[in-house]
Amino acid sequence: MLEITDLHVKLEEEDKEIIKGLSLTVPKGEVHAIMGPNGSGKSTLAYVLSGRDGYEVTGGDIRWNGESILEMEPEERAAAGVFLAFQYPMEIPGVAGLTFLRTAVNALRKARGQDELTTPAFLRLAKEKGAELNIDIDMLKRPVNVGFSGGEKKRAEILQMALLEPSLCVLDETDSGLDIDALRIVSEGVNALRSPERSMLLITHYQRLLNYIVPDQVHVLAHGRIQKSGDKSLALELEKSGYAEYSEKAA
Amino acid sequence: MTMSAPAQISKTPAEEALQRNFEAVVDALPAQAGSGAARRAAMARFDALGLPHRRMEAWKYTDLRTSLRDVSEPAVGTAAGIDAATLDGALGALAALDVYRAVFVNGCFSADLSSLPSAADVEIAPLSADRGATGTASGSDNALDGESIVALNEAFVTDGLSIKAGTSAHLAKPIMIISARTGDSDLLVTLSHDFELAPMSELTVLETAVSVGPAGGQSNTRVATEIGDGAKLAHIKVGSLTPVVDLATWTARLGRDATYKPAQFTPGAPLARNQTFVTFEGEGGDLDFVAGVLASGTDHVDTTIVVHHVAPGCRSRELLKAVLNGKARAVSQGKVIVDREAQKTDGKQMAQALMLSEDTEFDSKPELEIYADDVACGHGSTSAQIDPEHVFYLRSRGIPEAIAQTMLTEAFVTEAIDAIDNEAIRGAVAQLARDWLAANAT
Repeated sequence: MLEITDLHVKLEEEDKEIIKGLSLTVPKGEVHAIMGPNGSGKSTLAYVLSGRDGYEVTGGDIRWNGESILEMEPEERAAAGVFLAFQYPMEIPGVAGLTFLRTAVNALRKARGQDELTTPAFLRLAKEKGAELNIDIDMLKRPVNVGFSGGEKKRAEILQMALLEPSLCVLDETDSGLDIDALRIVSEGVNALRSPERSMLLITHYQRLLNYIVPDQVHVLAHGRIQKSGDKSLALELEKSGYAEYSEKAA
Repeated sequence: MTMSAPAQISKTPAEEALQRNFEAVVDALPAQAGSGAARRAAMARFDALGLPHRRMEAWKYTDLRTSLRDVSEPAVGTAAGIDAATLDGALGALAALDVYRAVFVNGCFSADLSSLPSAADVEIAPLSADRGATGTASGSDNALDGESIVALNEAFVTDGLSIKAGTSAHLAKPIMIISARTGDSDLLVTLSHDFELAPMSELTVLETAVSVGPAGGQSNTRVATEIGDGAKLAHIKVGSLTPVVDLATWTARLGRDATYKPAQFTPGAPLARNQTFVTFEGEGGDLDFVAGVLASGTDHVDTTIVVHHVAPGCRSRELLKAVLNGKARAVSQGKVIVDREAQKTDGKQMAQALMLSEDTEFDSKPELEIYADDVACGHGSTSAQIDPEHVFYLRSRGIPEAIAQTMLTEAFVTEAIDAIDNEAIRGAVAQLARDWLAANAT
């Protein structure tokens, strides 16, 4: 279970608070969506969960399965099961995709006390999971994400998620830049990973994604805190009325 | 007293020692590699020029007058033995390569350690076995007359390998030239190699150096290459695996549609200068030069290349990748000269440094001299640190920070290593690079 309690976050470099007392609970096995206007703190929340530099938590806590993750390094969070699917996945020239994936899979297996996969076993797994996401093994021999289209990058993120077997998946605007076909493939990939053992947080600006990945709960994030929570119908409401209500609320 | 004429510059202790050492050994140096008269003439040229210094544009960043303080005893070409297994141990990842070997020990060809091919259309022999006093490597070619490093090479040369590939000749395996040192005292090892490729022939030559004992010192290596029409040479150098002061001069003349792929990898060196001079003499020639520099501590590695487009329609590519740690310094000088007749020249150069510490220095100096009007020439240079965003991306996938750093550093030099066509050599060089990074880049 993910428990965020009264979280306050500011930028390290400037005195600007972005998350202002956010509380949220995602029980094990549930999929929650966070929706909100631009600049509401959605991506900051995703980065803070993953342990990226540049943010300072000034108050509150984030607990994953009862343990605070705030003091953990990014790789320790990954070992604890946290995975962030990036809005803009990084291109890394010179690092072959398969080398990257095998290193990551085995680093995590080691950290989680599992045996490392042999190269043939890893390749079989990568091939199998890749096929489900329409990712050819040749694509993975290329440097990580280099020259990939927007859709290919997002599919590659979901493949990483499938291979790394996280227990908390945070998807930051995974639908942005996807056409209908790519959105369907990515959504099927995410849905295939839904399990009673896995929690998911979908961060999105648009309701469209939620037609494909149906959430258990929807939260509206604006001005750095959750303004409203409800079931999936809340997303449809937002689609009609927009975020205007939440802008006024703050004003 | 006035301070003007170069002739009045006083000799440095190193220059004096070189002169002294030359007089002491000149009569003992092998005549097959150069006559006494030719050696004395070369030494007289050196005496007039002195060591290169920073007031010479081509030596702006590598001032041998200041940095070359001691001079090692010159090797005189006396045979010395090394145990084959010991040599393999010292060669590390290169030992397992399936290649023909030409091994020189303390500057003298060792038939015992070598395994040269017996192909009808490729003549391979050490200078000590086969050579008139005026081989193609000596004398004057290119813009090198007066280069004092070359003069020193001609004065002190003890041996070298001559390869003559006949028309359309292909060897089954690459040739690896190994310059090994043994013994307890430092040596100046001076070799001169000659590669001559007749039209349509193809060769891969790998060159490296190693010491099997405590002996270090200096090396001065000259490689003169002629690539005939449609012929192709891949010349890969892995700089000395044990630290020496390494001066190397390569000259290459390319015929019509000839392909030249020089690759120079330096796994650290207290002081190294690799200078390469390429001349396109026939239309449609192709140059693909890469350098991979790995330097730490107080290493100083200078890569200088001058590409002269005499003929039209040739293509030249130069890529340098330097990983610098500690207080290391890398120099990249790339000069492209395009003659008035050399229309449709396509020349590009790129020099990139990855600086792992704040005290490193990267001096990059591209130069273009273009006299033709229909050419595409460009150059670029970057120096940067490892991108923290990349590190974060890898860490967020569970990869520990130190491994992420190493992966990204390796990725940086990979582009240069990937230019090696021969898969086994590429793998061995990548392994050497990984070993170096593991020991020096964390």
